[in-house]
Amino acid sequence: MRKSYLIMLASLLAPFSVSAAPDAEMIVVCYPGGSVNAKEANGAMSSMLRVVERVGQWQENSFNSVFLTKSDDCKKQIADNNPKFAITSLGLYLELRNQHKLVPIVQPKINGQTSEHYRVMVQKDKFKSLDELKGKTLGGTVLEEPAFVGKIVFAGKYDPASFFDLKPSNQAIRALRSLNKGELDAVILNEQQFGGLGSLQMDTSLEAIFTSEEIPLMGVVANSGSTSVEERARFGKALEAMCTDAEGKKLCELFGVESFNSVDASLFEPMVKLWANGQ
Amino acid sequence: MLLFLAGCSGIPHPAIQTELEACPQQTAVAIAAEQNQLSFLTASHTLVCAINTLQKSHDLAIQRTALGSRLCLTLAEREPNQDKREKFAAEGVKFAEIALEQGGQGDGAVHYYLAANLGLKVRDHIVLAMGSLDRLENEMKQAVALSPDIDDGGPLRLLGALYLKAPAWPKGIGDLDKALELLKQAVDQYPNHPLNHLFYAQALWEEGDQTSLSQAKAEFVLGEKLLAEGDWGYNKQPWGTEFNEFAQEHAEIASPIK
Repeated sequence: MRKSYLIMLASLLAPFSVSAAPDAEMIVVCYPGGSVNAKEANGAMSSMLRVVERVGQWQENSFNSVFLTKSDDCKKQIADNNPKFAITSLGLYLELRNQHKLVPIVQPKINGQTSEHYRVMVQKDKFKSLDELKGKTLGGTVLEEPAFVGKIVFAGKYDPASFFDLKPSNQAIRALRSLNKGELDAVILNEQQFGGLGSLQMDTSLEAIFTSEEIPLMGVVANSGSTSVEERARFGKALEAMCTDAEGKKLCELFGVESFNSVDASLFEPMVKLWANGQ
Repeated sequence: MLLFLAGCSGIPHPAIQTELEACPQQTAVAIAAEQNQLSFLTASHTLVCAINTLQKSHDLAIQRTALGSRLCLTLAEREPNQDKREKFAAEGVKFAEIALEQGGQGDGAVHYYLAANLGLKVRDHIVLAMGSLDRLENEMKQAVALSPDIDDGGPLRLLGALYLKAPAWPKGIGDLDKALELLKQAVDQYPNHPLNHLFYAQALWEEGDQTSLSQAKAEFVLGEKLLAEGDWGYNKQPWGTEFNEFAQEHAEIASPIK
Protein backbone atom coordinates (compact mmCIF):
# COMPACT_ATOMS: atom_id res chain seq x y z
CA MET A 1 0.00 0.00 0.00
CA ARG A 2 1.43 3.37 -0.90
CA LYS A 3 1.31 5.20 2.33
CA SER A 4 1.12 8.80 1.20
CA TYR A 5 -2.06 8.30 -0.75
CA LEU A 6 -3.45 6.45 2.23
CA ILE A 7 -2.82 9.60 4.22
CA MET A 8 -4.52 11.44 1.43
CA LEU A 9 -7.52 9.17 1.68
CA ALA A 10 -7.41 9.43 5.41
CA SER A 11 -7.31 13.15 5.09
CA LEU A 12 -10.37 13.10 2.92
CA LEU A 13 -12.37 11.60 5.65
CA ALA A 14 -10.87 12.60 8.93
CA PRO A 15 -11.98 16.03 10.11
CA PHE A 16 -11.34 17.53 13.51
CA SER A 17 -13.59 15.56 15.76
CA VAL A 18 -14.46 18.72 17.64
CA SER A 19 -15.91 20.32 14.51
CA ALA A 20 -17.94 17.36 13.40
CA ALA A 21 -21.70 17.47 13.73
CA PRO A 22 -23.03 15.46 16.68
CA ASP A 23 -24.60 12.92 14.31
CA ALA A 24 -21.60 12.85 11.98
CA GLU A 25 -20.93 9.56 10.27
CA MET A 26 -17.90 7.84 11.75
CA ILE A 27 -15.26 6.84 9.24
CA VAL A 28 -12.53 4.48 10.39
CA VAL A 29 -9.18 5.31 8.87
CA CYS A 30 -6.62 2.51 9.08
CA TYR A 31 -2.99 3.27 8.35
CA PRO A 32 -1.09 0.18 9.53
CA GLY A 33 2.60 0.74 10.13
CA GLY A 34 2.27 4.42 9.46
CA SER A 35 4.29 7.10 11.12
CA VAL A 36 1.65 9.75 11.24
CA ASN A 37 0.97 12.32 13.88
CA ALA A 38 -2.81 12.48 13.69
CA LYS A 39 -2.85 15.94 15.18
CA GLU A 40 -0.44 17.28 12.61
CA ALA A 41 -2.42 15.61 9.84
CA ASN A 42 -5.63 17.22 10.97
CA GLY A 43 -5.12 20.32 8.89
CA ALA A 44 -4.93 18.25 5.75
CA MET A 45 -7.76 16.04 6.83
CA SER A 46 -10.08 18.89 7.52
CA SER A 47 -9.26 20.65 4.26
CA MET A 48 -9.83 17.55 2.21
CA LEU A 49 -12.98 16.53 3.91
CA ARG A 50 -14.52 19.93 3.35
CA VAL A 51 -13.85 19.54 -0.36
CA VAL A 52 -15.44 16.11 -0.47
CA GLU A 53 -18.49 17.31 1.43
CA ARG A 54 -18.89 20.24 -0.94
CA VAL A 55 -18.34 18.16 -4.05
CA GLY A 56 -20.70 15.48 -2.79
CA GLN A 57 -23.22 18.06 -1.59
CA TRP A 58 -23.21 16.90 1.99
CA GLN A 59 -23.70 19.32 4.82
CA GLU A 60 -20.39 20.56 6.19
CA ASN A 61 -19.02 18.38 8.97
CA SER A 62 -21.21 15.46 7.97
CA PHE A 63 -18.36 13.04 8.64
CA ASN A 64 -16.25 12.28 11.60
CA SER A 65 -13.37 9.86 11.80
CA VAL A 66 -10.90 7.98 13.87
CA PHE A 67 -7.35 7.54 12.66
CA LEU A 68 -5.40 4.41 13.62
CA THR A 69 -1.97 3.05 12.81
CA LYS A 70 -2.18 -0.34 14.52
CA SER A 71 -3.98 -3.19 12.78
CA ASP A 72 -5.44 -4.51 16.01
CA ASP A 73 -6.78 -1.10 16.99
CA CYS A 74 -8.33 -0.80 13.58
CA LYS A 75 -10.04 -4.17 13.75
CA LYS A 76 -11.45 -3.33 17.16
CA GLN A 77 -12.70 0.02 16.00
CA ILE A 78 -14.45 -1.48 13.01
CA ALA A 79 -15.94 -4.24 15.15
CA ASP A 80 -17.15 -1.79 17.77
CA ASN A 81 -18.54 0.90 15.48
CA ASN A 82 -19.43 -0.98 12.33
CA PRO A 83 -18.76 2.09 10.16
CA LYS A 84 -20.45 2.60 6.82
CA PHE A 85 -17.18 3.64 5.18
CA ALA A 86 -13.57 2.97 5.96
CA ILE A 87 -10.14 3.53 4.54
CA THR A 88 -8.12 0.40 4.89
CA SER A 89 -4.99 -1.27 3.74
CA LEU A 90 -5.42 -4.15 1.33
CA GLY A 91 -4.50 -6.55 4.11
CA LEU A 92 -7.24 -5.31 6.41
CA TYR A 93 -9.76 -5.35 3.60
CA LEU A 94 -8.93 -8.97 2.84
CA GLU A 95 -9.10 -9.95 6.48
CA LEU A 96 -12.32 -8.11 7.30
CA ARG A 97 -14.26 -8.20 4.04
CA ASN A 98 -16.50 -11.15 4.87
CA GLN A 99 -17.09 -10.28 8.49
CA HIS A 100 -18.09 -6.70 7.72
CA LYS A 101 -19.39 -7.11 4.17
CA LEU A 102 -16.77 -4.72 2.84
CA VAL A 103 -16.81 -3.69 -0.80
CA PRO A 104 -14.24 -1.43 -2.45
CA ILE A 105 -15.55 1.88 -3.80
CA VAL A 106 -12.56 3.76 -5.21
CA GLN A 107 -8.87 3.24 -5.64
CA PRO A 108 -6.22 5.90 -6.32
CA LYS A 109 -4.15 6.33 -9.45
CA ILE A 110 -0.55 7.32 -8.82
CA ASN A 111 2.04 7.87 -11.55
CA GLY A 112 -0.41 6.34 -13.99
CA GLN A 113 -0.66 3.17 -11.93
CA THR A 114 -3.41 1.65 -9.82
CA SER A 115 -1.17 -1.15 -8.59
CA GLU A 116 2.23 -1.49 -6.98
CA HIS A 117 5.06 -3.88 -6.25
CA TYR A 118 6.73 -4.64 -2.97
CA ARG A 119 10.45 -5.29 -2.82
CA VAL A 120 12.88 -6.86 -0.37
CA MET A 121 16.07 -4.81 -0.38
CA VAL A 122 19.51 -6.00 0.70
CA GLN A 123 23.05 -4.68 0.50
CA LYS A 124 24.30 -5.28 -3.02
CA ASP A 125 25.93 -8.67 -3.56
CA LYS A 126 25.45 -9.72 0.06
CA PHE A 127 22.73 -12.28 -0.68
CA LYS A 128 21.91 -14.09 -3.86
CA SER A 129 18.31 -15.10 -3.23
CA LEU A 130 15.47 -14.69 -0.81
CA ASP A 131 16.11 -18.22 0.46
CA GLU A 132 19.49 -17.08 1.77
CA LEU A 133 17.64 -14.69 4.09
CA LYS A 134 16.20 -17.55 6.13
CA GLY A 135 16.62 -16.68 9.80
CA LYS A 136 17.97 -13.24 8.92
CA THR A 137 16.59 -9.93 10.10
CA LEU A 138 13.93 -8.23 7.98
CA GLY A 139 12.72 -4.71 8.78
CA GLY A 140 10.18 -2.31 7.37
CA THR A 141 6.89 -0.58 8.00
CA VAL A 142 5.00 -3.12 5.94
CA LEU A 143 5.62 -5.71 8.65
CA GLU A 144 2.82 -4.24 10.73
CA GLU A 145 0.73 -6.64 8.62
CA PRO A 146 2.75 -9.88 8.51
CA ALA A 147 -0.19 -11.93 7.21
CA PHE A 148 -0.52 -9.60 4.25
CA VAL A 149 3.19 -9.87 3.56
CA GLY A 150 3.08 -13.66 3.71
CA LYS A 151 -0.11 -14.33 1.79
CA ILE A 152 -0.07 -11.50 -0.75
CA VAL A 153 3.42 -10.06 -1.12
CA PHE A 154 5.11 -13.49 -0.97
CA ALA A 155 2.03 -15.16 -2.47
CA GLY A 156 2.04 -17.78 0.28
CA LYS A 157 5.56 -18.99 -0.48
CA TYR A 158 7.12 -17.67 2.71
CA ASP A 159 5.68 -17.20 6.16
CA PRO A 160 7.47 -14.06 7.36
CA ALA A 161 7.12 -14.83 11.06
CA SER A 162 8.84 -18.22 10.81
CA PHE A 163 11.18 -17.55 7.88
CA PHE A 164 12.68 -14.23 8.98
CA ASP A 165 13.65 -12.60 12.23
CA LEU A 166 11.13 -9.77 11.90
CA LYS A 167 12.03 -6.24 13.01
CA PRO A 168 8.94 -4.11 12.35
CA SER A 169 9.31 -0.35 12.41
CA ASN A 170 7.10 2.64 11.85
CA GLN A 171 10.06 4.53 10.39
CA ALA A 172 11.00 3.35 6.92
CA ILE A 173 14.02 5.61 6.81
CA ARG A 174 15.31 4.21 10.09
CA ALA A 175 15.01 0.67 8.79
CA LEU A 176 16.96 1.65 5.69
CA ARG A 177 19.67 3.32 7.76
CA SER A 178 19.95 0.11 9.75
CA LEU A 179 20.26 -1.84 6.51
CA ASN A 180 22.93 0.57 5.33
CA LYS A 181 24.92 0.02 8.54
CA GLY A 182 24.47 -3.73 8.40
CA GLU A 183 22.30 -3.82 11.51
CA LEU A 184 19.50 -5.33 9.43
CA ASP A 185 19.95 -7.91 6.70
CA ALA A 186 16.97 -6.83 4.62
CA VAL A 187 14.17 -4.30 4.46
CA ILE A 188 10.83 -4.68 2.74
CA LEU A 189 9.55 -1.60 0.93
CA ASN A 190 6.36 -0.56 -0.78
CA GLU A 191 6.41 1.16 -4.15
CA GLN A 192 6.58 4.68 -2.83
CA GLN A 193 9.37 3.88 -0.42
CA PHE A 194 11.29 2.14 -3.19
CA GLY A 195 10.79 5.18 -5.40
CA GLY A 196 12.19 7.44 -2.69
CA LEU A 197 15.48 5.58 -2.30
CA GLY A 198 17.24 7.96 -4.66
CA SER A 199 16.73 10.81 -2.21
CA LEU A 200 18.68 9.02 0.53
CA GLN A 201 22.40 9.20 1.05
CA MET A 202 23.61 5.67 1.67
CA ASP A 203 27.16 4.39 2.04
CA THR A 204 26.33 1.05 0.50
CA SER A 205 24.45 0.20 -2.68
CA LEU A 206 21.20 -1.65 -2.28
CA GLU A 207 19.46 -4.06 -4.57
CA ALA A 208 16.08 -5.74 -4.69
CA ILE A 209 16.42 -9.44 -4.01
CA PHE A 210 12.71 -9.98 -4.36
CA THR A 211 9.98 -8.12 -6.25
CA SER A 212 6.35 -9.03 -5.78
CA GLU A 213 3.76 -9.45 -8.46
CA GLU A 214 1.50 -6.48 -9.16
CA ILE A 215 -0.74 -5.77 -6.21
CA PRO A 216 -3.73 -3.44 -6.62
CA LEU A 217 -3.83 -0.25 -4.59
CA MET A 218 -6.53 -0.26 -1.97
CA GLY A 219 -8.70 2.74 -1.22
CA VAL A 220 -12.08 3.40 0.33
CA VAL A 221 -14.39 0.55 1.23
CA ALA A 222 -18.02 0.48 2.31
CA ASN A 223 -20.05 -1.88 4.44
CA SER A 224 -22.53 -3.23 1.90
CA GLY A 225 -24.81 -4.32 4.70
CA SER A 226 -25.29 -0.87 6.16
CA THR A 227 -25.02 1.28 3.02
CA SER A 228 -27.32 1.41 0.03
CA VAL A 229 -26.13 1.24 -3.57
CA GLU A 230 -27.03 4.93 -3.86
CA GLU A 231 -25.00 5.90 -0.82
CA ARG A 232 -21.97 4.07 -2.11
CA ALA A 233 -22.36 5.59 -5.56
CA ARG A 234 -22.66 9.10 -4.12
CA PHE A 235 -19.60 8.62 -1.98
CA GLY A 236 -17.64 7.21 -4.89
CA LYS A 237 -18.68 10.05 -7.21
CA ALA A 238 -17.59 12.65 -4.69
CA LEU A 239 -14.19 11.04 -4.40
CA GLU A 240 -13.87 10.72 -8.18
CA ALA A 241 -14.59 14.44 -8.54
CA MET A 242 -12.11 15.36 -5.83
CA CYS A 243 -9.05 15.73 -8.04
CA THR A 244 -10.84 17.79 -10.71
CA ASP A 245 -12.22 20.28 -8.22
CA ALA A 246 -10.15 23.48 -8.18
CA GLU A 247 -9.31 23.23 -4.50
CA GLY A 248 -9.27 19.46 -4.38
CA LYS A 249 -6.81 19.33 -7.27
CA LYS A 250 -4.17 21.12 -5.21
CA LEU A 251 -4.60 18.61 -2.43
CA CYS A 252 -4.44 15.67 -4.85
CA GLU A 253 -1.25 17.07 -6.38
CA LEU A 254 0.19 17.56 -2.95
CA PHE A 255 -0.11 13.85 -2.25
CA GLY A 256 0.80 12.72 -5.74
CA VAL A 257 -2.62 11.29 -6.52
CA GLU A 258 -3.74 11.78 -10.11
CA SER A 259 -7.29 10.65 -9.55
CA PHE A 260 -9.61 8.38 -7.63
CA ASN A 261 -11.31 5.84 -9.80
CA SER A 262 -14.36 3.75 -9.10
CA VAL A 263 -13.41 0.14 -8.73
CA ASP A 264 -15.15 -3.19 -8.92
CA ALA A 265 -14.62 -5.82 -6.27
CA SER A 266 -13.68 -8.31 -8.99
CA LEU A 267 -10.37 -6.49 -9.41
CA PHE A 268 -9.37 -7.80 -6.00
CA GLU A 269 -10.48 -11.39 -6.64
CA PRO A 270 -6.95 -12.66 -7.31
CA MET A 271 -5.91 -11.18 -3.97
CA VAL A 272 -8.91 -12.77 -2.26
CA LYS A 273 -7.85 -16.15 -3.63
CA LEU A 274 -4.25 -15.66 -2.51
CA TRP A 275 -5.49 -14.66 0.91
CA ALA A 276 -7.67 -17.76 1.16
CA ASN A 277 -4.91 -20.06 -0.04
CA GLY A 278 -2.02 -18.43 1.77
CA GLN A 279 -0.14 -19.77 4.72
CA MET B 1 -8.97 54.48 16.68
CA LEU B 2 -7.61 51.67 14.59
CA LEU B 3 -5.50 52.75 11.69
CA PHE B 4 -4.43 50.68 8.74
CA LEU B 5 -0.75 51.24 8.25
CA ALA B 6 1.39 50.20 5.36
CA GLY B 7 5.14 50.39 5.39
CA CYS B 8 6.89 52.93 3.21
CA SER B 9 10.37 51.52 3.14
CA GLY B 10 10.35 51.16 -0.63
CA ILE B 11 9.42 47.49 -0.42
CA PRO B 12 5.79 47.28 0.67
CA HIS B 13 4.99 45.61 3.97
CA PRO B 14 1.72 43.95 4.80
CA ALA B 15 -0.34 46.09 7.12
CA ILE B 16 -0.26 45.93 10.89
CA GLN B 17 -2.96 47.67 12.86
CA THR B 18 -2.39 49.70 15.95
CA GLU B 19 -3.64 52.64 17.90
CA LEU B 20 -1.27 54.99 16.18
CA GLU B 21 -2.19 58.03 18.21
CA ALA B 22 -0.96 56.28 21.34
CA CYS B 23 2.46 55.47 19.93
CA PRO B 24 5.37 57.45 21.27
CA GLN B 25 7.54 59.54 18.96
CA GLN B 26 10.51 57.33 18.25
CA THR B 27 13.05 56.63 15.57
CA ALA B 28 14.18 53.33 14.12
CA VAL B 29 17.71 54.07 15.29
CA ALA B 30 16.49 54.56 18.85
CA ILE B 31 14.47 51.36 18.72
CA ALA B 32 17.45 49.43 17.39
CA ALA B 33 19.65 50.86 20.11
CA GLU B 34 17.21 49.72 22.78
CA GLN B 35 16.16 46.49 21.09
CA ASN B 36 17.21 44.28 23.97
CA GLN B 37 14.38 45.79 25.97
CA LEU B 38 11.83 44.57 23.46
CA SER B 39 10.98 41.00 24.28
CA PHE B 40 8.25 38.63 25.36
CA LEU B 41 7.95 40.82 28.44
CA THR B 42 7.00 43.87 26.37
CA ALA B 43 3.39 44.95 25.92
CA SER B 44 1.93 44.24 22.50
CA HIS B 45 1.10 47.87 21.88
CA THR B 46 4.72 48.88 22.38
CA LEU B 47 5.85 46.20 19.95
CA VAL B 48 3.33 47.26 17.31
CA CYS B 49 4.45 50.86 17.59
CA ALA B 50 8.05 49.77 17.17
CA ILE B 51 7.17 47.70 14.14
CA ASN B 52 5.35 50.60 12.54
CA THR B 53 8.39 52.80 13.01
CA LEU B 54 10.69 50.14 11.58
CA GLN B 55 8.39 49.68 8.59
CA LYS B 56 8.86 53.31 7.66
CA SER B 57 12.61 53.33 8.10
CA HIS B 58 14.95 53.61 5.13
CA ASP B 59 17.99 52.87 7.25
CA LEU B 60 19.71 50.00 5.45
CA ALA B 61 21.75 49.06 8.48
CA ILE B 62 18.52 48.44 10.37
CA GLN B 63 16.71 46.88 7.45
CA ARG B 64 19.35 44.18 7.11
CA THR B 65 18.93 43.05 10.72
CA ALA B 66 16.41 40.60 12.16
CA LEU B 67 14.89 43.16 14.48
CA GLY B 68 11.59 43.76 12.71
CA SER B 69 11.12 40.08 12.04
CA ARG B 70 11.85 39.23 15.67
CA LEU B 71 9.31 41.71 16.97
CA CYS B 72 6.68 40.34 14.61
CA LEU B 73 7.38 36.82 15.82
CA THR B 74 7.09 37.99 19.42
CA LEU B 75 3.63 39.33 18.63
CA ALA B 76 2.59 36.35 16.52
CA GLU B 77 3.54 33.85 19.21
CA ARG B 78 1.24 35.43 21.77
CA GLU B 79 -1.67 36.12 19.41
CA PRO B 80 -4.56 33.65 19.85
CA ASN B 81 -6.54 34.86 16.82
CA GLN B 82 -5.40 32.96 13.74
CA ASP B 83 -5.93 35.76 11.24
CA LYS B 84 -4.07 38.29 13.34
CA ARG B 85 -1.32 35.78 14.11
CA GLU B 86 -0.81 35.07 10.43
CA LYS B 87 -0.67 38.79 9.62
CA PHE B 88 2.03 39.36 12.22
CA ALA B 89 3.92 36.33 10.95
CA ALA B 90 3.56 37.43 7.32
CA GLU B 91 4.95 40.80 8.26
CA GLY B 92 7.82 39.06 10.00
CA VAL B 93 8.57 37.10 6.85
CA LYS B 94 8.56 40.31 4.87
CA PHE B 95 10.97 42.01 7.27
CA ALA B 96 13.33 39.05 6.99
CA GLU B 97 13.10 38.93 3.21
CA ILE B 98 13.99 42.60 3.07
CA ALA B 99 16.88 41.94 5.44
CA LEU B 100 18.19 39.26 3.10
CA GLU B 101 17.81 41.55 0.10
CA GLN B 102 19.76 44.22 1.92
CA GLY B 103 22.70 41.96 2.73
CA GLY B 104 21.65 40.10 5.84
CA GLN B 105 22.44 36.62 4.49
CA GLY B 106 25.25 36.09 6.93
CA ASP B 107 23.09 36.81 9.95
CA GLY B 108 21.68 33.59 11.40
CA ALA B 109 18.99 35.53 13.23
CA VAL B 110 17.51 36.70 9.93
CA HIS B 111 17.21 33.10 8.74
CA TYR B 112 15.85 31.98 12.09
CA TYR B 113 13.13 34.59 12.36
CA LEU B 114 12.26 34.15 8.70
CA ALA B 115 11.70 30.45 9.27
CA ALA B 116 9.87 30.90 12.56
CA ASN B 117 7.50 33.46 11.10
CA LEU B 118 6.99 31.46 7.94
CA GLY B 119 6.14 28.41 10.02
CA LEU B 120 3.50 30.33 11.94
CA LYS B 121 2.13 31.84 8.74
CA VAL B 122 1.54 28.55 6.96
CA ARG B 123 1.03 25.99 9.70
CA ASP B 124 -2.77 25.96 9.44
CA HIS B 125 -2.82 25.80 5.63
CA ILE B 126 -1.86 22.36 4.41
CA VAL B 127 -1.03 23.24 0.81
CA LEU B 128 1.05 26.25 1.82
CA ALA B 129 2.69 24.32 4.63
CA MET B 130 3.69 21.38 2.46
CA GLY B 131 4.93 23.74 -0.21
CA SER B 132 7.06 25.58 2.34
CA LEU B 133 8.82 22.60 3.89
CA ASP B 134 11.99 22.84 1.83
CA ARG B 135 12.30 26.57 2.41
CA LEU B 136 11.71 26.14 6.12
CA GLU B 137 14.34 23.44 6.32
CA ASN B 138 16.84 25.48 4.34
CA GLU B 139 16.40 28.62 6.42
CA MET B 140 16.56 26.71 9.69
CA LYS B 141 19.69 24.86 8.62
CA GLN B 142 21.37 28.18 7.86
CA ALA B 143 20.29 29.50 11.25
CA VAL B 144 21.70 26.40 12.97
CA ALA B 145 24.98 26.81 11.11
CA LEU B 146 25.32 30.56 11.67
CA SER B 147 23.75 31.25 15.08
CA PRO B 148 22.61 28.16 16.96
CA ASP B 149 22.41 30.03 20.24
CA ILE B 150 19.70 32.54 19.35
CA ASP B 151 16.61 32.31 21.50
CA ASP B 152 18.06 29.59 23.75
CA GLY B 153 18.79 27.19 20.93
CA GLY B 154 15.85 28.33 18.83
CA PRO B 155 17.30 27.11 15.50
CA LEU B 156 17.94 23.64 16.92
CA ARG B 157 14.51 23.60 18.54
CA LEU B 158 12.66 24.66 15.41
CA LEU B 159 14.56 22.44 13.01
CA GLY B 160 14.07 19.52 15.38
CA ALA B 161 10.36 20.27 15.61
CA LEU B 162 10.14 20.51 11.83
CA TYR B 163 11.66 17.04 11.40
CA LEU B 164 9.36 15.76 14.13
CA LYS B 165 6.12 17.09 12.71
CA ALA B 166 6.61 17.14 8.94
CA PRO B 167 5.32 14.19 6.89
CA ALA B 168 7.88 11.40 7.03
CA TRP B 169 10.12 10.15 4.25
CA PRO B 170 9.60 9.43 1.42
CA LYS B 171 6.78 11.94 1.00
CA GLY B 172 8.16 14.61 3.29
CA ILE B 173 11.24 15.70 5.19
CA GLY B 174 9.98 14.32 8.51
CA ASP B 175 12.70 12.30 10.23
CA LEU B 176 12.45 11.17 13.85
CA ASP B 177 16.15 10.34 14.09
CA LYS B 178 17.15 13.86 13.08
CA ALA B 179 14.51 15.33 15.36
CA LEU B 180 15.81 13.39 18.35
CA GLU B 181 19.40 14.37 17.63
CA LEU B 182 18.67 18.09 17.27
CA LEU B 183 16.29 18.32 20.22
CA LYS B 184 18.74 16.41 22.43
CA GLN B 185 21.35 19.02 21.52
CA ALA B 186 18.84 21.75 22.32
CA VAL B 187 18.10 20.47 25.83
CA ASP B 188 21.75 19.67 26.55
CA GLN B 189 23.12 23.00 25.38
CA TYR B 190 20.17 25.25 26.26
CA PRO B 191 18.48 23.59 29.21
CA ASN B 192 16.62 26.67 30.45
CA HIS B 193 14.06 26.98 27.67
CA PRO B 194 10.77 25.15 28.44
CA LEU B 195 9.98 24.42 24.79
CA ASN B 196 13.30 22.65 24.27
CA HIS B 197 12.14 20.12 26.85
CA LEU B 198 8.57 19.94 25.54
CA PHE B 199 9.65 19.28 21.98
CA TYR B 200 12.24 16.74 23.08
CA ALA B 201 9.55 15.06 25.16
CA GLN B 202 7.30 14.92 22.08
CA ALA B 203 10.07 13.34 20.02
CA LEU B 204 10.83 10.80 22.72
CA TRP B 205 7.14 10.03 22.93
CA GLU B 206 7.07 9.31 19.20
CA GLU B 207 9.98 6.94 19.67
CA GLY B 208 7.62 4.87 21.74
CA ASP B 209 9.81 2.39 23.62
CA GLN B 210 9.60 2.17 27.38
CA THR B 211 12.91 3.91 28.07
CA SER B 212 12.00 6.77 25.80
CA LEU B 213 8.58 7.15 27.38
CA SER B 214 10.09 7.47 30.85
CA GLN B 215 12.56 10.00 29.52
CA ALA B 216 9.75 11.87 27.77
CA LYS B 217 7.88 12.17 31.00
CA ALA B 218 10.94 13.53 32.79
CA GLU B 219 11.56 16.08 30.04
CA PHE B 220 7.93 17.13 30.07
CA VAL B 221 7.92 17.65 33.82
CA LEU B 222 11.17 19.62 33.67
CA GLY B 223 9.85 21.84 30.90
CA GLU B 224 6.63 22.38 32.80
CA LYS B 225 8.61 23.41 35.89
CA LEU B 226 10.77 25.83 33.92
CA LEU B 227 7.68 27.41 32.43
CA ALA B 228 5.92 27.70 35.77
CA GLU B 229 8.90 29.17 37.60
CA GLY B 230 10.37 31.39 34.88
CA ASP B 231 9.45 34.92 33.91
CA TRP B 232 8.28 34.20 30.39
CA GLY B 233 5.95 37.15 30.15
CA TYR B 234 3.39 36.99 27.40
CA ASN B 235 4.79 33.66 26.18
CA LYS B 236 3.76 31.89 29.33
CA GLN B 237 0.17 31.42 28.28
CA PRO B 238 0.66 30.18 24.70
CA TRP B 239 3.48 27.90 25.76
CA GLY B 240 1.36 26.64 28.62
CA THR B 241 -1.32 25.82 26.08
CA GLU B 242 1.19 23.75 24.12
CA PHE B 243 2.13 21.83 27.24
CA ASN B 244 -1.53 21.31 28.11
CA GLU B 245 -2.47 20.12 24.64
CA PHE B 246 0.29 17.55 24.67
CA ALA B 247 -0.73 16.42 28.14
CA GLN B 248 -4.35 16.12 27.06
CA GLU B 249 -3.40 14.00 24.06
CA HIS B 250 -1.24 11.77 26.25
CA ALA B 251 -2.89 11.84 29.63
CA GLU B 252 -0.28 9.60 31.21
CA ILE B 253 2.62 11.98 30.67
CA ALA B 254 1.70 14.58 33.26
CA SER B 255 -1.06 16.60 34.77
CA PRO B 256 -1.82 19.75 32.78
CA ILE B 257 -0.40 23.08 33.85
CA LYS B 258 -3.00 25.07 35.74
